[in-house]
Amino acid sequence: MIKIAQLSCGTEYSGVQPEIENAAETVGAKMVYPDVNMESIDKAVKEFGFNPNSAQLKLMIARAVELAENNYDADAIFIATCFRCAEAALVRTELRKYVQQHTRLPVVTYSFTERTKAAQLLTRMEALVTIVERKELLARERQVGLTAGLDSGSSTTKAVIMRDNVIIGKYWLPTTDVFSSAETALTKALEEAGVKQEQLEALGTTGYGRFTLGKKFQAKLVQEELTVNSKGAVWLADRQKGEATIIDIGGMDNKAITVRDGIPDNFTMGGICAGASGRFLELTAKRLKVEITELGELADRGNPGKVKMNSYCSIFGIQDLVTSLAAGNTLEDVASAACHSVAEQIYEQQLQEIEVRQPIIQVGGTSLISGLVTAMEHTLGQRPIVPKDSQYIGAVGAALLSSGLLG
Amino acid sequence: MKIFIMPPNSLILFDLVERFGHEPLSLMGELRERVTSNEIEAPPLNVSSDDVKLGLKYAGIEVPSGIRGRLAVYGPLIDQAEAAIFMEDAPYSFGCVGCQRTNELAKLLIRKRRVPVLSLDYPENEDQAKDMVFKIKEFLEGLR
Amino acid sequence: MDSDIETRIVLIAPSSDLTPDQIARFVQNMGFQVTVKETCYGVVLEGPRENVRHTMRELRKLDPYRIYSKVRAFPAGDIRRCRAHHGSRPGFAQLEKEWKDLSLVEIGLICAERGERPPEPKRRERMPVNDLKKLIEEVEP
Repeated sequence: MIKIAQLSCGTEYSGVQPEIENAAETVGAKMVYPDVNMESIDKAVKEFGFNPNSAQLKLMIARAVELAENNYDADAIFIATCFRCAEAALVRTELRKYVQQHTRLPVVTYSFTERTKAAQLLTRMEALVTIVERKELLARERQVGLTAGLDSGSSTTKAVIMRDNVIIGKYWLPTTDVFSSAETALTKALEEAGVKQEQLEALGTTGYGRFTLGKKFQAKLVQEELTVNSKGAVWLADRQKGEATIIDIGGMDNKAITVRDGIPDNFTMGGICAGASGRFLELTAKRLKVEITELGELADRGNPGKVKMNSYCSIFGIQDLVTSLAAGNTLEDVASAACHSVAEQIYEQQLQEIEVRQPIIQVGGTSLISGLVTAMEHTLGQRPIVPKDSQYIGAVGAALLSSGLLG
Repeated sequence: MKIFIMPPNSLILFDLVERFGHEPLSLMGELRERVTSNEIEAPPLNVSSDDVKLGLKYAGIEVPSGIRGRLAVYGPLIDQAEAAIFMEDAPYSFGCVGCQRTNELAKLLIRKRRVPVLSLDYPENEDQAKDMVFKIKEFLEGLR
Repeated sequence: MDSDIETRIVLIAPSSDLTPDQIARFVQNMGFQVTVKETCYGVVLEGPRENVRHTMRELRKLDPYRIYSKVRAFPAGDIRRCRAHHGSRPGFAQLEKEWKDLSLVEIGLICAERGERPPEPKRRERMPVNDLKKLIEEVEP
């Protein structure tokens, strides 16, 4: 049983503790609380150097110090506090840095509301468990044999066929029905590779539809997208050794993951609203009457400074956009402002929850929108690496990792 | 009389209030019904997301869920209180009273009810302890 | 669970010579329908409310200023608050601190029972700014 140490404030009074425990249980883990006594709380708060007013936050700190000093045995760390609590947000962020500095345990942070449900926590918990249980598999750097990877995302479905560490077939299409989209993607990728489905030695699935597809295709590997995408990203960017930060702006949620030798050690998944997602850029393209594939290039020619747009909500964001167009701004400037709005929100929401490490690898379908990469560059002060085939990270990761399960 | 104590889970205050012949309104008493109910919706304390909504009676939607959930539990105690004793700087108050923001609001809500309030400092030495017990005794006896 | 059932934490002040074991035996010998469980700092009592309260009144007589109690939300031995299951419960550190300070409360209670009015204790106060100024001038004329 994987033990996930819970450092939290407010979970039992927000109705979310059972959700946390359900999510953990579903992935074969158990939430535990490092044992502390009164003296150790005083000492820990002093050592940590931040003395919060709320006693429960002091307790969180003391529990973290127990983990840092190896007095308590846990496999992973889950740090959670109430959304909108400033004191807790400070402690959450600083504690995350502290445990990362003092332990090698994978960490995930979360700020919850009373609406938080187990389903939202599941992928995060599953990733923590995968990192602990499948460390050896995740350390695999080469794909072997003939394998396939299917990534069933909320916006698009991707398939990749790999043979001896080379991509020999790939295909993507918008997700409609999970199964038929995957079937089409796989068939097309197999066609390009010139192989038959029966020849595949293994198949891996990831993304929202991973469980459904895993059953249908009798997949050898069914794994959440945080660990799989990380693997795909470092393989595609040829950054398997050392540290990196992976930014994956998805159709529905965004991921920011820090990795060490290709294995995630901290990650966040957002967000609260679609204003910071690929979906918002789709809406923007539609409103500007351009294809999503043309939006990036259009944005690259614009000046984001001319248009004010920074909304946490995609609906308000589009309102900003309409107002800007009505005020006579060019399509280029508006497209650029939309990309910057997304980039800024990734920076404000996701990148504050992790320690950004070099190099930064931007992946996922949205990384093909060059205007968004430019916006990330402006926000971060350096241009992220966008590897070739960056939209296939999930499928590549699944093909690579599933080959590790070959007998 | 029903005496609200702060921290509402304090052993010392609970014991002294009872010892001097009054009824302490404690958090433990309030939670008892929840945790021994036949329908446990949200273990361990059985404070569900619906309870958090009930907390809106005491604090607005922009207030963190943990504060509203806590107030849903001990707000009813505030509503029943006929007097209150606050230990202003109690060194540790965890769990339900682990959130200082909630505690400050709870004290304000009590004061707004205009019931007699005794405000004390947590004793650090014998003289302060004598003073604390004396004041509690005097306050409680004065309520009769 | 029956709403008339009460669970109570009983703590023995650090200065008392009584042991949890002695208290437990005393409760058992009383023959009330009250179950008793020893803990690090005392016992946990559980049973019909009136029986528990009566037991408590009798218990106090053993050492009036050194036996303290409060009700407990969770029934005795409840796995949701079991230390072995998840780690220590949130209120544990507070109880530990209050237990240590029971010796102070004991002194306060004895004083109050004697009917003495204790002098207003000294608390740390900030130095008036003029005094501080004088002090600085003395050091750095």
